[in-house]
Amino acid sequence: MKGRLGGVLAVALAVALGVALTLAACGGQGRQAGGGPAADKRLNIYIWSAYVPKEVIDDFSRRTGIAVSYDTYDSNEPVLEKLQSGVADYDIVVPSDYMVRILISQHLLQKLDQARLPNAKNLDPRFLNRPYDPHNAYSLPYVWGTTGVGINKQKVKGRLDSFAPLFDPANKGRILMLDDMRECFAAALKYRGHSLNSTDPAVLKEAADLLKRQKALVKTYNSGDYENILAAGDVDVAHGYNGQLAKVVAKDPRKFAYVLPKEGATIWVDNVCVPARARHLDAIWAFLNYIMEPEVNAKIVNAISYASANLPARNFIKPEILADRAIYPATEALARCEFLEDVGEATTLYDQYWTEIKAQ
Amino acid sequence: MKSGQAAKGGRTAYGLLLPTWLTLGLLFLLPLTVLLVISFGQRGTYGGLRPIGDLGHYLAAGAFLANYQRSLEPIYLQIYWRSLWMAVLTTALCLAISYPVAYYVAVSAPVRRRNLLLGLVVVPFWTSFLVRTYAWMFILRTEGLINHLLLGSGLISQPLELLYNNAAVMIGLVYGELPFMILPLYASLEKLDLSLLEASADLGAGRASTFRRVTVPMTMPGIVAGIILVFVPSLGQFIVSDLLGGAKTILAGNLIQNQFAVARNKPFGSAVAFELVVGVLLLLFAYAVYTRRRGEEVLL
Amino acid sequence: MTGRGDARGAKGSLLLRSHAGLVYLFLYAPIGILVLFSFNQGRQTASWEGLTLAWYRSLFSNGLVLGAMRNSLVVGVASTAVATLFGTLAALALGRYEFRGKGFTRNLLYLPIIIPEIVVGAALVAFFGVAGVRLSLATVIAAHVAFSISYVAIVVRARLSGFDRSLEEAALDLGARPLATFWRVTLPLIQPGIVAGALLVFTISIDDYVITSFVAGVGATTLPLQIYSMLKVGVTPEVNAVSTLLLAVTVALIVIAQRLQQVPVEQEANR
Repeated sequence: MKGRLGGVLAVALAVALGVALTLAACGGQGRQAGGGPAADKRLNIYIWSAYVPKEVIDDFSRRTGIAVSYDTYDSNEPVLEKLQSGVADYDIVVPSDYMVRILISQHLLQKLDQARLPNAKNLDPRFLNRPYDPHNAYSLPYVWGTTGVGINKQKVKGRLDSFAPLFDPANKGRILMLDDMRECFAAALKYRGHSLNSTDPAVLKEAADLLKRQKALVKTYNSGDYENILAAGDVDVAHGYNGQLAKVVAKDPRKFAYVLPKEGATIWVDNVCVPARARHLDAIWAFLNYIMEPEVNAKIVNAISYASANLPARNFIKPEILADRAIYPATEALARCEFLEDVGEATTLYDQYWTEIKAQ
Repeated sequence: MKSGQAAKGGRTAYGLLLPTWLTLGLLFLLPLTVLLVISFGQRGTYGGLRPIGDLGHYLAAGAFLANYQRSLEPIYLQIYWRSLWMAVLTTALCLAISYPVAYYVAVSAPVRRRNLLLGLVVVPFWTSFLVRTYAWMFILRTEGLINHLLLGSGLISQPLELLYNNAAVMIGLVYGELPFMILPLYASLEKLDLSLLEASADLGAGRASTFRRVTVPMTMPGIVAGIILVFVPSLGQFIVSDLLGGAKTILAGNLIQNQFAVARNKPFGSAVAFELVVGVLLLLFAYAVYTRRRGEEVLL
Repeated sequence: MTGRGDARGAKGSLLLRSHAGLVYLFLYAPIGILVLFSFNQGRQTASWEGLTLAWYRSLFSNGLVLGAMRNSLVVGVASTAVATLFGTLAALALGRYEFRGKGFTRNLLYLPIIIPEIVVGAALVAFFGVAGVRLSLATVIAAHVAFSISYVAIVVRARLSGFDRSLEEAALDLGARPLATFWRVTLPLIQPGIVAGALLVFTISIDDYVITSFVAGVGATTLPLQIYSMLKVGVTPEVNAVSTLLLAVTVALIVIAQRLQQVPVEQEANR
């Protein structure tokens, strides 16, 4: 009697274990590309889930014999968390601009060995020597983009060149905003003509009031698959990052458009950095140099649909991507765009308002 | 009970509990103590902690309580109230829906089917919670399954707004918590002595009366277990309300998550979290006192 | 004679069965959608575009997903086994014995259930950092064991309470030693509770996102983490395919378990 059910459980566990081991045998490969590595021929990457150029990584492993494994994330905070814990084993991380500053200030990154990175000369000077990392001692730009508005042209009338549709009562219940405190404030602040890094309490209050009034018009806050929600017709106006929105637009350009608002938007750049405790240094420099090769970089861009900061790569990028104004905006359009910077102490005030907005 | 057993009881119990004490002590008590200490701190400029210059002065001035004071401001109380309300509703709905199912599987269904039926309850939850939630979004959204069917059959002319509201969140929460209510109820119902029910009927009690005065009291341990397993996690949840509710409400779980992630204010987040923990402990304590006075079984 | 079906009249029984049927329908509706759309030709779940097996094919070359499945299973099995053992022992200790520190133990066991997952995750990472423990699959398993013990303890405890001790006492009176009594009388009788507890914590472990996201190290990505990042990029039906496969495997397990139980035993029929 006891034996029976105990036996069943044993069988169940055995089967599960068997499945697990089978999967281990055939599943272990894709993740770690490349042939028999020595212990020091390894590389661990922590990268945005939207940025993984798998083919590129496999090519690298074939070329160098270095086994690459990677984990992914969707916001900058896990990067900070893992590096602060001091026990995560990553060799390369890809934080956004403001997060680079924070990581540097907490001594979590190590300096890049410029001598080992000759391909850095390919990088677009517009994205170098930014305030968060002057002289690019710790970071090199990887991809960049903007945060704008995706619009269903068939449903939203009027001039499509500003943040206005996001705040227009005519679109009530058909609006999506990013579920991101800084980005929502960025939209409100720029719309009202202020800097999106403002720390002036009066200015912030104005933006917060605008966002509070806007909340009744918003159908959902979403930072994950806003482009799908737009495409599915749940909303007509979607605040979002350009790469993902560009994909929706490319599929049906008569119906959808990506707008880089004339008031100026967030321009962001994600950077490759090396954690202070990273050990596989040879592999790291080899990989970083590799992804800055023009052809390789172009492959990445073609795969992930975000613009890279590599100039010669343009020769190899698909023409339709180069021509896509959502991914590669005209220089004039970028004139009023601003990079996000950490606002230090004022973060608490932003957070207070954000809580009030969400709590209504 | 033999006297020898009572004397041995302590040592055996300690032996049985050693693995649990070690695991929970190391992986819960220690980390939480660290967090408690952090909750008395202040946020540094870039997140992290601000170094405290003069510890004595800091303590004496009561500055270490700043986060707790802040967490009792009206805006935050409003958030706690909403979370409480949502958790109560979820638990009540779960209980109402689950009890008959557990009863059916434990009492009515043929014996050889029981494990199968029980397994069927659990099996959906071996798929990914996230994907199931996205599946609910597909069912409920403007161009989703339900609206497709209703519009297609001509029953309605405008699509119903079934997603990104409180009802959708309720559906998602109840859906996610059902096995945590059904399984403990089942465990309790399964050992229900049916002859008692028969005796009650023989003595003239109607079915409702028998249910109320025999079945429910006898399965109270399972009911309480289920309530605790559903109510408490519901208080701290935030993912379902973000996905199905359009991230338009901020619950206690969202608040804490924001503090750890976006606001990078661990001290404040820890303070809120500890208040949540203390609040629930008080509830449990009140319940323990109540049952002890009535001489009933406590949960553990 | 006291067949359990006689417990209620035929009408009540119908009502009960319909309700149960509806609940099962409710449980499986999203699953149905999931499975159906794993065969959808289109990428977005927004519309149906025809039948295809393409997603399953691409799944088997998707090392990321397979690796994540392997990790999830390893973590699930390991943590369930350990937690079920520890939790059952704890439930027995609390249900059978009086001792100093009983109240403390109870509260200790409530902690993992009370504390919001995000706090647990953050606290664990901070702790591992202080202790210098490198994040890995092992830290995930440890975290899962930690939060699972309580659930097993509660479920087994619910089973134990109101337990008819006369059977045990009879065995002891008949000369059986305490250990044998436990093994051959007590254990079989609380078995449904143990199984229910094990099922519960396996479920929780397979599906855990928040805590795992904090304590997973390099190469320790579990299925929920993997799926979450895939969902963020865009809903590929590959995710549906994974879930469907997982579902098929677990259903197969249940059916096997059910078949193995078909040996008729007189006692069962009389309960």
